[in-house]
Amino acid sequence: MNNSIRELRAERGWSQAHLADQLAVSRQTVNAIETGRYDPSLPLAFAIARLFGLAIEDIFSI
Amino acid sequence: MHNSAEPRFSANERKLSQQYLRELGSSIAIYLAILIPSLMYGPGMADGALKTAVLTAPVLGFFLMIWAIARQVQRMDEYQQRLTLESLSLSAAITAAITFTYGFLENAGYPRLSMFVVWGIMGSAWAITGLLRCWASKR
Repeated sequence: MNNSIRELRAERGWSQAHLADQLAVSRQTVNAIETGRYDPSLPLAFAIARLFGLAIEDIFSI
Repeated sequence: MHNSAEPRFSANERKLSQQYLRELGSSIAIYLAILIPSLMYGPGMADGALKTAVLTAPVLGFFLMIWAIARQVQRMDEYQQRLTLESLSLSAAITAAITFTYGFLENAGYPRLSMFVVWGIMGSAWAITGLLRCWASKR
């Protein structure tokens, strides 16, 4: 699964650690999601979408 | 890939790590506080229930360590929990393979080893699994 989290994060000037704090996950987890090594659960995907103010399908694609 | 300019851990992670270290450190301290008198006085006691109780008393400290570890696992996020599960599953399988193989060798006359060795093997397998995972994630 692909995602645009890195680009969305960069647009806002956020670090991985800052995003991790916002999502209550580890920086390692943010890095794994951004690099496509890990696909988040549905609750975490919703949290990411809510944080960026977008729909899940605007962030994640197959 | 991790940008070296970024902090390696988030503020939340640091807070949780400190909490874990406090809880685990306290439980280890309690374990040692029970273990030392147990080792000093237990072996010289007369055989019986009291001696068994004194020699096994340090396990109370171990229960606290288990509690601290369980709390830390609950605090982990979903990705960290998956990594931990994978590493522990692999290290348990490696430990089973080694201890079973050595058990058969003992039947063939190899020297009997203490059960203390088992945790050493599992800890080593866990560390090697973690290092291999770290190496693979950087490729």
